[in-house]
Amino acid sequence: MNSYFFTQPFFKKNGKAIAIYFLVAIIFWFVFLVIIPQLYMLDLSFRTNVPPLERGGPKDFYTFEHYQHFVFGSKTAQDAFNFVDLGVFGRTILVSIFVTLANLAFCYPIAFYIAKIANPSTARLLIVSLIIPFWINELLRSFALRILFANEGVINNVLTGIGIIDQGILFITYDIGLYTGLIYAYILLMMFPLYNAIESLDVNQIEAAKDLGSSTFRTHWRVVIPHAKPGIVSGCTMVFMLTVGALATPVVLSSPNTLWFPQLIYQWFNMNDNWSRGSAYSIILLIISVIFVLTMMRIFKVRIGEIIK
Amino acid sequence: MTSSHVMKFMMGLYLFIFFTYLFGPLIIMSFTAFNSAEFPAITPWECFTFRWFNEGKIAYDGQHLAGLFTDWRLHDGLISSLIIGGGVVLLAVPIGMAAAIVLTQVKSQLRDIYYSISIMPVLFPGVIIGISTVVLWDRLAGLGGEGFISEIGRNGIFLTILAQTCFISTYCFLIFVARLQRFDQTQEEAALDLGASQTQVFFKILIPYLAPAIASAAVIAFLASFENYNTTVFSILSDQTLTTVIASKVRLGISPALSALALSIIALTIIAAVTYEILRRREEKKYALSQEKYVTEKAATSRIDKDYKVGFKIPKGIVAIILLVILCSYGGTQILKNDLYGQSCIDAADKEKKSKFLDQLQVLEQNELSDEELGGGNLGGNQDYGDIFGDPNLFQDFAF
Repeated sequence: MNSYFFTQPFFKKNGKAIAIYFLVAIIFWFVFLVIIPQLYMLDLSFRTNVPPLERGGPKDFYTFEHYQHFVFGSKTAQDAFNFVDLGVFGRTILVSIFVTLANLAFCYPIAFYIAKIANPSTARLLIVSLIIPFWINELLRSFALRILFANEGVINNVLTGIGIIDQGILFITYDIGLYTGLIYAYILLMMFPLYNAIESLDVNQIEAAKDLGSSTFRTHWRVVIPHAKPGIVSGCTMVFMLTVGALATPVVLSSPNTLWFPQLIYQWFNMNDNWSRGSAYSIILLIISVIFVLTMMRIFKVRIGEIIK
Repeated sequence: MTSSHVMKFMMGLYLFIFFTYLFGPLIIMSFTAFNSAEFPAITPWECFTFRWFNEGKIAYDGQHLAGLFTDWRLHDGLISSLIIGGGVVLLAVPIGMAAAIVLTQVKSQLRDIYYSISIMPVLFPGVIIGISTVVLWDRLAGLGGEGFISEIGRNGIFLTILAQTCFISTYCFLIFVARLQRFDQTQEEAALDLGASQTQVFFKILIPYLAPAIASAAVIAFLASFENYNTTVFSILSDQTLTTVIASKVRLGISPALSALALSIIALTIIAAVTYEILRRREEKKYALSQEKYVTEKAATSRIDKDYKVGFKIPKGIVAIILLVILCSYGGTQILKNDLYGQSCIDAADKEKKSKFLDQLQVLEQNELSDEELGGGNLGGNQDYGDIFGDPNLFQDFAF
């Protein structure tokens, strides 16, 4: 049996030692780091929340309690639905979609400019300067925005100093700071897929469209955007996923009375010590993410391999 | 003014706005690192100072605001971040390499599934990877009794390395896949035909070919690990990394020491980026030269004579550097002239704030006294406390 195992083509091709290294590395990664933790979390999300000592005891059984809590609220609650958590969830999704679209709108002209209009050295310079801000920690970038948007922050001080407004605008309280920060946080992940996609378009196609009398808008709509579709899908998916799962930016920038969905998970997990419910909420987040990716793939007919490059 | 001019102007304006949006906050934050005020701000500007990089300050109300070099929590966090980064590089690079090489050998039907699993971790939200690792290892630690497993299962650094490796391996995988796409398999076949063993082929051909990818994967893995927050905050348990320390600091209240930290990171980043760019250009030049030589040697008649221009060009960057130096020296002399730098300025600012603070303490005490005079009964909140909360700077300083 053993000798049979080692005569498989895989071993023949790579040699025994290297083949074993490949297998160990890949199995360790797929099984121990990716699959088992997720499955265990799924299992935990259907269990009651019991202290570690009572695991496997009579109080540890399978239940839908945590998912019910997400939809209907606690059993003693007055409301028919759990408006607080559902509200946080809905807001997170809606704002994430908005952030994704805003990113797309902001990045498209820049990506097109760098890819097709700018001369090569300018393009290189622009790309390098695009990357530099994103080597800095997400927390510190949000912190920079916080300095701007705080109630006694730079923007308010300048505006009141000039005399445009009498009182500071509550940017943080109304979550303007948060939205700006979320758009800021992952804009690079929209820029590069877009740039790569537009870059591969033949300039002659644009010229041809122009020669045949198409307007600038029409050229973009009919030539550039269809060509850049994989890049657009890829950028949108990455930005949406990261925004929905963002924790660092909301920690720094969200107002004290609103929550981002991962913050809710964090609360159940670390502050309320209810790991099962935290897991259940995580599963909900995961499902939404997967649904989003699949929908994007279905609508725009791209393969998963094209999304992540 | 033709329409193309208008378009150009609009595009320039848009580029300007976009890059202001990207860099403006960072530049303003960098300036706040030099303001001596306790709250990171540009206006009102108190004094020019380096203290947020050094010792921090003891505020007028007695609390200590740590500077960059005296903050031991930050240092501990930095050390564990470095350890985790190293661990992740050691795990993720070999894993990514193995997975990428195997991808070239997998047959077509399995290939899609294999590829999907490989890139799945990037699509998981970071918080989920952190949580799933923690819940699994907590369970394993519980089952393992008092032994080694329970020890490492509750070790935040170990868990963080595992959790980060889960998705950082994918980054490495993608880097290796990109490099392997251009690999010429005939090299391997030639070596095998000449009698090399598979292990020799791996070490003598594949590894040297992949060397640049190994280097860039290691750098990317380290950086990704170093700045990760979403996964780390769950898996680190009771330990602290640089990012979790920063997060807890930001949450408690914001201090210019953080601006100082950010400025240091920005400086390091720019130096790294410039070095990388210079190295890359040198490499490109070398490559171009060797290609040219190759072509001229090939052409026997040497019709493609190329005269190498030896000239001296002033790089455009010099202008920017000179401008920067002039600006800095001008700003520096202005600051010195107006007595905005140094101990005397800071003392004056502190004194003013201290007296303000004392005034407000007095108001507070007076109000408490009048509360006593009321003689109980009416302990509810309907006394007039005056305007003691009027100064917003007062309570900002309590935040740390």
